[in-house]
Amino acid sequence: MDTSTLNIIIRILHYVFFFYAFLAISSYIILSIISTFEIIEYVKKNSFVDYKEILSSTISPSISIIAPAYNESLNIVENVRSLLSNHYVNYDVIIVNDGSKDDSLEKLIKAYDLVPINYLVNEQIYTQPLREGVFKSTNPAFDKLLVVDKENGGKADALNMGLNISNSKYVACIDVDCLLLEDALLKMIKPFLEVTDVKVIATGGVIRIANSCLIKDGKLLDVNLPKKLLEKSQIIEYLRSFLIGRMAWSRLNGLLVISGAFGLFDKKTAIDVGGYDTNTVGEDMEIIVRMRRYMQDIGEKYKVAYIPDPLCWTEAPDNYKIFISQRNRWTRGTIETLRKHRKLAFNPKYKSLGLLSYPYWLIFERLAPIIEVIGIVYFIILMILKEVKWEYALAFFMLAYLFTVLFTIVAIFSEELTFNQYKKKGTGFRLLVTTVLEPFILHPFILYAAIRGNIDYYFNKDKKWGAMTRKGMGNINKIK
Amino acid sequence: MNDFQYLIDYFKEYPILIKMVWIFSGVLFVGIIVLIIILKYLRSRLRINGKLNKTYKEKYESLLINYLYSGTEEEGISPDQQSVINQLEICIKDKFKRKIVISSLVKLRNEISGEVANSIKNLYLQVGLNNFALEKLKNKKWNIIAQGIKEFSEFQIEEIQNEVLKHLNHQRKEVRDEVQLYLVKLFNFEGLKFLNELKMPLSEWDQIQLLEVLQRFKNQEIPDITPWLKSSNDSVVLFALKLSQIYNKFDVIETLIKLLNHKNKIVRVRVIETLSYFQDIEAKIILKNKFDNLSLEEQIAFFKLLENSFENTDQKFLLKHIYHQNFEIKKTALKILKILDTEKFNSLKDTSEDPSFVKIFNFIEN
Repeated sequence: MDTSTLNIIIRILHYVFFFYAFLAISSYIILSIISTFEIIEYVKKNSFVDYKEILSSTISPSISIIAPAYNESLNIVENVRSLLSNHYVNYDVIIVNDGSKDDSLEKLIKAYDLVPINYLVNEQIYTQPLREGVFKSTNPAFDKLLVVDKENGGKADALNMGLNISNSKYVACIDVDCLLLEDALLKMIKPFLEVTDVKVIATGGVIRIANSCLIKDGKLLDVNLPKKLLEKSQIIEYLRSFLIGRMAWSRLNGLLVISGAFGLFDKKTAIDVGGYDTNTVGEDMEIIVRMRRYMQDIGEKYKVAYIPDPLCWTEAPDNYKIFISQRNRWTRGTIETLRKHRKLAFNPKYKSLGLLSYPYWLIFERLAPIIEVIGIVYFIILMILKEVKWEYALAFFMLAYLFTVLFTIVAIFSEELTFNQYKKKGTGFRLLVTTVLEPFILHPFILYAAIRGNIDYYFNKDKKWGAMTRKGMGNINKIK
Repeated sequence: MNDFQYLIDYFKEYPILIKMVWIFSGVLFVGIIVLIIILKYLRSRLRINGKLNKTYKEKYESLLINYLYSGTEEEGISPDQQSVINQLEICIKDKFKRKIVISSLVKLRNEISGEVANSIKNLYLQVGLNNFALEKLKNKKWNIIAQGIKEFSEFQIEEIQNEVLKHLNHQRKEVRDEVQLYLVKLFNFEGLKFLNELKMPLSEWDQIQLLEVLQRFKNQEIPDITPWLKSSNDSVVLFALKLSQIYNKFDVIETLIKLLNHKNKIVRVRVIETLSYFQDIEAKIILKNKFDNLSLEEQIAFFKLLENSFENTDQKFLLKHIYHQNFEIKKTALKILKILDTEKFNSLKDTSEDPSFVKIFNFIEN
């Protein structure tokens, strides 16, 4: 290869990087603007909604909370109690014990006076069979509780069992260790009931980080900012993702993912598409993409709604090992979903789903870490060859860094003006310090996890979920 | 100075792209600093407002309690009450304080009833808060209009209904919701007359809200709902169906039977569910005869109706449908069959090899 050809290749590479960065920054700016409008609209809309009117209504539609549990013996009793304390009238809680090897079932039986019952399961979706069967409490106080004990099949399989068992019109699929606020179901069901021109197929909720928060008897008493930088950085990251990214995509009706920790679904649609995919670790994203695709295929107008209120609180990884394992799984989930539904890519038949949402996820979520690594490798080569033009490098580095900081501050702004959860004096300053440090503390590990995820996806097919060791929500306040 | 000049000269020599990147970075930097300053101000403001809110709230609540307990036996306002009115009149000139006064009044009104609740309403009118709410109704912003209407319904101001009614078919759903709630909260079932004029859809959320409000009233004399069952607005029909079930309106069954041919499938399914509640035999016969032409949802709803109104003569029909592809229908058919003819049920059970079938049999038996 002669020098001129090499120069042309290098020049093309420069333009690719520049164009990619330009597109990414532009898309973030556009998303920020859209999310600002959307959040203002949401706050305005909800400023005079009287949720109490509906809260006590017995004619409100039924909802089943489906919570899969695997070896959750440590906190299962408290977690279930928290789920049973919701203020919505017409709901039940289905705990699916997914072949736990510990004493989760025994603890539940003892704590809630459970007895086996004869229950006819409508096997609309294939799942692993029941193990000990279905249990219900003899105590009327726990009338809303149903415990299903089945053979192990993974989270998706357990959720599918919940879909088969539920008799409700809507199902809330959640992680059993999540803390739901008392009005969570009511706020999440609202889009299903108020939208009249299109069918709402699912509603996604915001996930907030509960580390260091004060929780007692399954209730959130006080919101605190954790001390560890890793935890604080995740709070910043979640604010950015949930208050800007997802809010904007919701406005564009292009939301491709609803967090597996908390989402409400139209049960019929979820069953019509075949339930959760048991062959992916990203079942939460996959089912939404499949539901959207199904609705487009049958030609019915639909919407995936999104509620930005802080309704669901969960424990975030507090060490890098677990954090990397979690992000590795998220990466594999994204790759699997995008590959499975590659037919959607740039396909005009699927309108905004094929021409906007899917390409965005492919280019700015799926390919971002790969492009970033190529950029880093290229930069190192240039450094070795002493070909780095430092004025260029510094200028672009500064631009990227300042943009990230500004983008995060916009998210914090959004939070302050709307839900204002971190009220305490000094918290604002600590959030800003984290904002400045986060690109160095969190981002390199996200990148590393994403690359590991790619490697695992292509070269380590057997890798599945990875362990997530939890301290338990009841204990979070003790680790401040 | 020379260093600065050197930097400027150096910058001037940059290619245009790099110049632009540095300028943009500078803009971002200034933006960050400005936002941080505003954020600091905003957080302080929110904290101060929170404290002020609490202080004023306590102050106004105590003033309102004074007002309520310093009334005289005779009609009219006592000097103490007049003093409270005077103080509040001054306070409400300030928008921030006005909001707190209104929320304190609303809170108090929700906690009490009867004569005392009327005193709150009188106080609202005496201090002239209704004029501010009326101004809101003339505002161009939909959320301000909705706030104004909500205020009028909270204080039960009937006199303003014509102004409120102007917004009945407002393009924003939130405004329409407030108009509907105003009418029903103030005029009970009479308020439902808006259904005759309603052109926009009445969402499920609105319907539940209205029904909840209606159920609070002592007077449960519901007007004739037949015109609403015949409405061209499908959401009004669905709402009327709910009314007919909740208030046991047996007199509309004839109209319901006609609605079995409604063009909207959702309405038809809901009609079957309502007729099922009324255990209507005529509906059963009609639906049984055209069962094969019904949609799956209607068929499922019909089997629920059948569960409430089956007879011996239905046995042949049931036997035809115990092999239906739908699980619910299959289950219900077998359940009814067991009651009607245990022998037939047992013989079917003994000959059946399909595991899903056996599961249903076992479930019904236990």
